[in-house]
Amino acid sequence: MRPRSILLLGAGFTIWASAFVALYAMLSVGCRFGWHEVALEGAGGLSLQRLQLVAIFLVHLAAGVALVALLRRWKDRGFLYPLAYVAAIAALSASVFSFGAVFFLSTCA
Amino acid sequence: MSARPTRQTPLRLHRELAALWDTPAGWRRLSAVNHTVLGKRFILAAFFFFAVGGLLAMLIRVQLATSSTAFVGPEAYGQIFTMHGTVMMFLFAIPMFEGFAIYLLPKLLGARDLAFPRLTAYGFWCYIFGASILLLAMVAGVAPDSGWFMYTPLSSSTYSPGINADVWLLGITFVEISALSAAIEITVSVLKVRAPGMSLARMPIMAWYLLVTALMMLFGFPPLILGSILLELERAADLPFFDPLRGGDSLLWQHLFWLFGHPEVYIIFLPAAGAISMMIPTFARHELIGYRAIIVALIAMAFLSFGLWVHHMFTVGIPHLALAFFSAASGLVAIPTAVQIFAWIATLAAGRPRFDVPMLYLGGFFFIFVIGGLTGVMLAMVPFNWQAHDTHFVVAHLHYVLVGGFVFPMMAAAYYWLPHFTGRRAEHRLSKPAFWAIFLGFNLTFFHMHLTGLRGMPRRVDTYPVEARLDWLNLLSSVGSFVMIIGFALFVIDLVVQMRFGQRFRRNPWAARTLEWAMPTPPTSYAFASLPHITERGDRLAPDAEGARLAGGHGYLGFTRNGWMETLGVDMTSGRPDQLIVLPRQSFLPLWSGLLTAAFVLCLLAKLYWLSLFAFAAIVVSLLAWTGGTGARQDTGALPIGKGASARPHWETATPPSWWAMVLACAAEATLFSSLLFGGLFLWLVAPAWPPPQPAMPDPLLAAACLVLMLLAALLGRDAVRALTRGGPPALRLALCAGAHGGAALLFALMAASVPVPTTHAHNATALVLFALCGLRAGFGALLAGYGLWRERAGYLSPVRSLDLRIGRIWHDYAAATGIVGIGAAFVFAWLASSAGAAP
Repeated sequence: MRPRSILLLGAGFTIWASAFVALYAMLSVGCRFGWHEVALEGAGGLSLQRLQLVAIFLVHLAAGVALVALLRRWKDRGFLYPLAYVAAIAALSASVFSFGAVFFLSTCA
Repeated sequence: MSARPTRQTPLRLHRELAALWDTPAGWRRLSAVNHTVLGKRFILAAFFFFAVGGLLAMLIRVQLATSSTAFVGPEAYGQIFTMHGTVMMFLFAIPMFEGFAIYLLPKLLGARDLAFPRLTAYGFWCYIFGASILLLAMVAGVAPDSGWFMYTPLSSSTYSPGINADVWLLGITFVEISALSAAIEITVSVLKVRAPGMSLARMPIMAWYLLVTALMMLFGFPPLILGSILLELERAADLPFFDPLRGGDSLLWQHLFWLFGHPEVYIIFLPAAGAISMMIPTFARHELIGYRAIIVALIAMAFLSFGLWVHHMFTVGIPHLALAFFSAASGLVAIPTAVQIFAWIATLAAGRPRFDVPMLYLGGFFFIFVIGGLTGVMLAMVPFNWQAHDTHFVVAHLHYVLVGGFVFPMMAAAYYWLPHFTGRRAEHRLSKPAFWAIFLGFNLTFFHMHLTGLRGMPRRVDTYPVEARLDWLNLLSSVGSFVMIIGFALFVIDLVVQMRFGQRFRRNPWAARTLEWAMPTPPTSYAFASLPHITERGDRLAPDAEGARLAGGHGYLGFTRNGWMETLGVDMTSGRPDQLIVLPRQSFLPLWSGLLTAAFVLCLLAKLYWLSLFAFAAIVVSLLAWTGGTGARQDTGALPIGKGASARPHWETATPPSWWAMVLACAAEATLFSSLLFGGLFLWLVAPAWPPPQPAMPDPLLAAACLVLMLLAALLGRDAVRALTRGGPPALRLALCAGAHGGAALLFALMAASVPVPTTHAHNATALVLFALCGLRAGFGALLAGYGLWRERAGYLSPVRSLDLRIGRIWHDYAAATGIVGIGAAFVFAWLASSAGAAP
């Protein structure tokens, strides 16, 4: 087992943290520039703000799912991999709970 | 230099090890670098500050006892409550945990000391001198008075023109050096300095707790250090980072403070939870249930705790959806906390629990902490938070969390480990009345604050109107606080009685199964006469049998050689021994470095800025002096370490502790730098009075030259290592590397000097600090290259002894990468500050 495998323990929550930073930053930028008032015709009337936030969330969600799928292959190997696998599942669940509101809550009220 | 040690009799081995490891007597005690000695000093000092903080709390309660108390005026009250919070958070809780970790960690890991004993000593002196500055200021009547979180603009020079706020900013930053040293020390020690065979899977659970806590400190403290530097620069040099009239924003301070401040709560709680995870299996007579689940919970807590800071700022006007993010994360963090609590309950349920005094205090912890956790979930909900914000409800919540989550477990830990410190068992006559007085007094004091808070009593006020009908509740709180202080007095008396009159015992009075009991108590300075080979998880050991075997010298390193203080380094994951770590001997240098750091801080406090530059230079020289005598002037090769094994000394290996320390130092600095970039973007996006009248656009020619020099320095640093390992001389490359760094530092200084009047706008001030930071990094790179040159000239380098240059290489690469980012950020900031990039 290579020393860097210890970093896998935090991989899932690193994706969660990246989603947090990106969503909070881009939400603030969008609110400042009024993107929540820009309706996109080609996207069923979705606001630019909603679209970019959902995109950021889905990209991170995909990364989280990919990580879980990757670690699932090694989940019976040694000590660190099973822990990293469970941590990645926890992080994925945390992402859905923390950021799922991007789909329906008002953004800049 | 002798490579072949001979086996000794146990007594002779003890004498030889003690001669090497013992701290000298008399005034030479000040040269101590030993973890047992320094751990005790940290704990004693922290306990002293706990008493100071407690005394201040009593003054607060006297003042608030009734609506008509005229005990102190608002100005003195401001100093009292500010110092109470500051002392308890920065001078008690964190140093107490540090002392606890420093004393215990090597013993848990089967090592003779921590990775960097002189850094431990330096951290201790920084703590003592920084804390002394704060206390002396209080005695002189100029203590900080803007609240322990120093919100701007109250703490800005407009509203706090004296030196009170400077005392906090400089004193606390000084103390934080101690915390960062401890963070690096603990992280590297857990990862590298363990007994052979102790893989990550076999580490005692406490080591996991301390590892996670130390990493949180490493990333949690830099934002506050940056905030303190920026606020001090605003106060001293009128750089308007927090002034809304000149493009600053007071909310930037709140973000930087709480980016540190909320993880701080978990930084305080986790070591105490680690102690609980050690004590409960002993008293349950059952190994810890959920070892792996707890590790995952710790990782989750570490990350989630960095995503909650805005719940301290729910009322400041954050976008609606962001409130949901922070509220969700604040609620989520209860889950990993609950995982630990259920693991402890399950361990008790599965075992055959026996009751003793530490368990009584743990019972207090369960009751109080669970209430604190539940009110925390209430406060995580935005609508409730808006109602309770800045009221005594929050005061009640934070005391339930911190006293429940730290003080009660630490009192349990005191009873549990005091026999280890003293070699005496407790009589426990006073411990029970002490517990009940503290427990009842605490609840009487703080439960009523929930009620006064819900009835609208704000925090940080020295009085309240009689019409508010809060007198009775406040009087009960005050009475409760005095009951609690009687309990603490009994607790102290009980500890003193135990230390003086407790019954002596031979070893392991609680029948624990962890390694710290596999040694004589009180412990010897070298902890283990020989180091164990670990074949089981760290809480499944047999310390009694193992202790006798190790004392007989039958483990690793059961001998002395060359007058070296030796311990073993292991592969991070497998625990296979991969290096012989030779630790530095007792030295006054950490004390000198601490004194010079104190001189630097005092110069800044007295606004003697030119003199402070000399003090800074003296600090650098004193730190460089630490390296004298480290390493070797000839290749040693693998040396026997006992049990038929051998290992190279750490300076001949690829990744010794000092290499990891540099990696971690870069990570901490990167966090500070990222916080500065966040600040620049935050002000552009949020602050009023933008765009600035004259954006700070860097000279493209200077910037390009700077980039070239930074990259050149990194390449030369790498090439110097390559040349050395191939047997060639690295001197010319190192000299050129130093020159390139020096040139880059000069160009950064020129770019900083060309920033248009930095006092006019926060954007310009940010650009100035950005260039200054990049320049400092380049200057430090020049110093490291020069140091490598000196080591080469002095004969410390060879193809297998390339450590000094490889440590330098990490910094050269880091300085180049962050220099590029810094220059790029300066252009981006300037573009954003121009009308083209201005926010509407």
